[in-house]
Parts: sequence; structure tokens; C-alpha cells
Amino acid sequence: MAQILEEIKGIKNVPQDQMMVPGHRTCAGCGPALVYKLVAQAAGPNSIFIGPTGCMYVANTSYGCTPWKIPWIHAQITNGGGVAAGIEAAYKMFEKKRGDGIKPNVIVMWGDGGATDIGLTSLSGAIYRNHDVLFVCYDNESYANTGVQTSPTTPYGAWTTFTPSGPAIPEGKVLWPKDNPKLVAGGHPNLRYLATASPAFAIDLMNKVRKGCNAQGPAYIHLHAPCPKGWNFPAKDTIEMAKLAVDTGMYLLYEIENGQMKVTYKPRKRRPVADYMRLQGRFSHLQPEHFAKMQEWADKRAQELGLPAVLPPTE
Amino acid sequence: MAVKTIGAFKRLLTGCGAVAHGVRLSDVDVISTYPIRPYTGIMSELARMIADGELVAEYLHAAGEHDQLSVVYGACAAGARAFTGSSGVGVTYAGELYSPISGERLPLQMAIADRTLDPPGDFGEEHTDALTFRNQGWIMGWASTPQEALDNTIFLYRLGEDPRVVLPQFNCQDGYFVSHIADEVEVYDEKRVKEWLPPFKPLHKLDPRAPESLGPQISPPSGPAMQHQRKLAFENVRKAIPELTESFNKAFGRHYANWLDEYMTDDAEVVFVVSGAHALTAQTVAKKLRHLGEKVGVIRLRWVRPFPTLELRESLSRFKAVGVIDTNVDFGCPVGAGVLTSEVRAACFGLEKTKIVGFVAGLGGEVVSREEFYHMTHKLQVVARTGKVEKEAYWLPFDLKM
Repeated sequence: MAQILEEIKGIKNVPQDQMMVPGHRTCAGCGPALVYKLVAQAAGPNSIFIGPTGCMYVANTSYGCTPWKIPWIHAQITNGGGVAAGIEAAYKMFEKKRGDGIKPNVIVMWGDGGATDIGLTSLSGAIYRNHDVLFVCYDNESYANTGVQTSPTTPYGAWTTFTPSGPAIPEGKVLWPKDNPKLVAGGHPNLRYLATASPAFAIDLMNKVRKGCNAQGPAYIHLHAPCPKGWNFPAKDTIEMAKLAVDTGMYLLYEIENGQMKVTYKPRKRRPVADYMRLQGRFSHLQPEHFAKMQEWADKRAQELGLPAVLPPTE
Repeated sequence: MAVKTIGAFKRLLTGCGAVAHGVRLSDVDVISTYPIRPYTGIMSELARMIADGELVAEYLHAAGEHDQLSVVYGACAAGARAFTGSSGVGVTYAGELYSPISGERLPLQMAIADRTLDPPGDFGEEHTDALTFRNQGWIMGWASTPQEALDNTIFLYRLGEDPRVVLPQFNCQDGYFVSHIADEVEVYDEKRVKEWLPPFKPLHKLDPRAPESLGPQISPPSGPAMQHQRKLAFENVRKAIPELTESFNKAFGRHYANWLDEYMTDDAEVVFVVSGAHALTAQTVAKKLRHLGEKVGVIRLRWVRPFPTLELRESLSRFKAVGVIDTNVDFGCPVGAGVLTSEVRAACFGLEKTKIVGFVAGLGGEVVSREEFYHMTHKLQVVARTGKVEKEAYWLPFDLKM
């Protein structure tokens, strides 16, 4: 039987057992490591984690000192969906053939390069096949462990080593990011649960993970995971950056349950995107017209979700 | 859920059908599929078996061969007996996964019914698809008949899962020449197979009741030791194959050679070395030529990984001229023939009396005809008589006009 994980009501009820323990060695202030800790804590010991190549493999899972108190397996950056599907199918068959009596939460912790780019076929295939797996994308908006290169979720205007700014290309990155939650939600009728979450809203994040584990079918959670190294901001400001992303509408918090979309956090006043972008070195080369373009993009997305307008108008 | 018992029977089966029965008898838990000719018949037969209640297994329609191999990687790591397969460019599309699977020491099985890569991309067979991955830490061997394809399926699970070994297996058969040609096959009783092939008991697996981290990243100082373990595992395969072949033959009444299937080699002057179904044509030719007083033999390699180095060297030291049949391409390789010629020459390094000639034949799925074997025999006889190799590698038909 699948174990049902109860809703965490308030900070006092957060489970104390850590599933990610010392042994990791990511950068100070690492957003992905923070969200990974929260996901594992929420999912609890009856879980199996799949870690496709990315920061959380290269910097976080070293031979001889892995931080995992739960079973963990490496997958290629390309194939978190397939590997998770195989694990889920194996446990289904053990139950059918010999009544093993356990049904672990199978959780993929995938970076944005994996889940939105090179592994998209694998993700889509597994959701299409209706596997009872929770797919989590920890989105630090770049290929970070390779030294910060652009990924499909890197924002317009961001500096990366593959999108440097120069006289010929002043804004650095010229493309607009891929909206993976929309892509996943739009074309997979078997998807039971989808959410976006942020480490600035930790209990909300953990409860979304629990809903994903309880979904009895494919679930997808897209986690915002600020990266001090790649975005160039002080390591102490990770949570502040996550909060500002939500308050400016650069990152939107919502969930889709039984086909119903619900905004899970609406800032009372939406702040201009420049308040968020000016604190990050990756945007330091941008000119006012670039900020204006970004504001227009954020406004359009916020409007779709019914978030308040930014007042006064941005610079 | 009860499985319908089929029992033992003898019937005409293609290579694809035979492997499907091997998989059924091996009580596989998880199967991942993706269609590509000519291996597809294995998977459609397995789908039928599941639909008819003859086999209970998870049957996953993967999103491509890369996804196929990923699924069995996960399934086997969770402790399931897992099966997949492919052909041609499907085999190469999954290429990223072969080293991780053997490196994680996951003893799953992949059937390959060979097909050419693109180009020419026709449906015909070449061994190039499987041989491209001969260095990835998988046991690899070719069946020459549907019966052997069934037997190898069962045999390879036992060999791969042997605690001394723990390695994945390529269960290869020639596309069309074996996969699509029916021959009489003895299909064994379920109980008899279960006795010889006990359930898979992994040493390490993903289980919340006993958490382990599988495949964490190592740093360079741990690299040599980790690679060396796979090398040691292959040395154990060398020990296990003769033991298990004897045990298999005894249990199922078969007569397989451990490494080299030798045909009329006792007093042979020249021999062919070949793997897979073209060996049967070579044997027909050898038999015919014996009637004319020509001493020709055939050696079929049952396994290419591990390569039967010592066995082959010892055997070939008896002959004056050896012709290696390469149904694969390896452009720019040392001898100018294919993979097998290079490897047979390496195995026989320093054998002064044995002259080795490579013949690239049957590319794109073309048959290697009896006429071609007669011509190749003639070339080898000249080498045997004169002790001189005029040409080390022949590409048929261009270098051997008929």
C-alpha cells in the first residue's frame, strides 16, 4: 500500500528527520542543495531518489561520503524519466508476483538542463506512460556545474559563458525561456499533479512535494533554486532572491490538481523586475530598454495568472 | 495472478520467437520496447504472451532506445530481472547507457538482431551495430540458430547474474538469417528452466529498507580501481563460461562447445573463423569440399566478449591458413578488413606458421554465398601451399572477382 503523507500544518509540524545529511559539498548558499533537503525531508524514508547528472550529482554525491539516508541512484542527465519508470515498474511487479508489501515514493531530482532540455523526451515518455513517479526540476536557470552555460530556462538578458554580452550582442542571452510547467501540463492527460514552488515558501514547497508523492500517478514540480555562483549574488541572499523572484512575478507559484489551476501565492503588491535583477551580476550589463522588455514579459505572465499590476510603472 | 503453464514442446520458431520463449522461461519482470526491424518480432511475441496470460511482466513502451535502456537500468537496480532489445541504429541511439549499465554492474539482458547502420540503412544485417559497443563491459555472443538463440537467453541470465560476474549481456543473432527464418526449436518445461536458472538475487539494490547510494561520482584516484573491477569480472566470465556450458548441456541435453564450435577441423589445412549464422553456409561448403578431397574446416566463435584468446590461439596454431569472415565494417582498422580479423590476428600474434587473411563479406545484409566461400577457400589454399600472404584483406565482391 502506498503510504499517504499528511499535510504539514505550520513550522512546528515539519518532520525532524533529515534524509539529506552532511556529506554534500555544494557552494555556500546553494539553492538546489536547499530545495533538495526540503524535498527529501518532506518525502521521508520510504522513498527512492534518482539523481540525473547535474549539480546535485557532481557537487553533492561523492563516492565515500554521499549525503543520502534514502536509497539513491545516479542516472544520466538524459534519462531520469526512464530510470524512474524502471524502478516503479519493478516494485509494481514485485507486489504482483510475490506481494512485497512496499511501495516507495519514486522521486527524480533533475536540474533544468536535464528536465527541460536534453531529457525532455525521457520526462514526457514517463509521464505519458502513467508511472507513479514524482518528477522534480530544481531550476537554477543554467547549466551551472559545467561553469554556467545557458539552458532553456535561463532568463532573457542573462550573462552565461555561452551568452556573453558584447557590442554586437549587448543583452547577452537573446532568447526567451522555455515554460516547462506549461509544456508538461499542456500535453499529458495522465498527469495527476503539477506545481511550482520556491524555497522562500518552505512549508508550501514541502506540502506540494507531499501532494506529488500522494498523487498515485505522475506528478511534476518545478522548483526555483537560486544559484549564487551562476547568478552572481552574495551567498547569504539565496532566500531573499527566491522571495524577490516571486514578489516581482519573475517566478510564479501555482498548482494544478485534478485539472484545476490555482495560484498558491499572490503578492499583495508586485514589485518591478528591476528590484530583482539589479541585485544579480548576471544582469549587470543590461540597459533600460532591456529591463523594460523583461518587465513587459513578466507583466504578461502575471496577468495570465491574475496577479496585481506593478505600480508605479517601471523605469 | 496465475501464469498459464505451457510445458515443453517442439515447434518451428524464428530466432525472434525463440528468444521470446527464452524470456518467458527466464521469468523476466520488466521488459522495455521500441520498434525497429528486425528484432521487433521478439517484443510482439512477448506482448502476445502477456496478453494471453502466459507471462506476467511489466511491458513498457519506451520513448526510444535510449529510454528503453534507461528503463531496464532502473528496473534491474531495483532488483528486477529485466529484458530489452534492438537493432541497427536503435542499438547506437542507446549508446550512452551501455557503460553506465555495466559500470553499475546491472546484469540485465539485451537481445540484438543485427541490422546495418545508416547508410545503407537497408533492412539487411551486419554485425557492426553490436560490435560498435564491444568495449563497453557487456558479455557478447552470437547465436547461429533459433535454438541457440533461446538457449543463450537462459544461459546468459545465469552467467550474467552469477555473483562472480554481475555483468549485462548482449544476446546477438543475425538479423533475418536467424531472426526471421524458422527452424525446429525445443522449448523446455518451465520447471526445468527454473531449477537451472534460480530467481535473480542482486547483491545491491534500491530498497528503502536498506538504503544504499548507487553510482555516486568518484574522483580520479578511485578511477583505476573501479575500471579494474570490471576487468576482473570479465576474467571471472572466462572461468564461468566452461562451467556453466557443461552444466547447461547436462540439464537440457545440448552439446554446445564452451568457446569454439569446430566443424571438420581435425585434419584441416585451411579453416574459416566466423561468428553467427554465416557459419552454417561455411559448414555446408566445407562438407562439400571434403567430398572433393579438400581439407577445409570451420570454427564458429560462440562468444566475442570475452574474446576466446587462448582457446583460439591454441586451435589456430594447427592450421596453415585461416580466413576470418567479417560481416562488419571498421573503416581504417589495422588490417583493412573488419573487427574480427584484427582481433583474431591479435590473439594469434607470434604464431609464425598460421597465416591469417581477412574477408569482409555480406555487408548490407547481402548473403555470403557458397560460391564466395569456394573462392575464399581457393585463396586460402594458395596461402597454405606457398606460406605467403599475397593480400591480407579482401572486400567482397570487389577484391575477389568471380
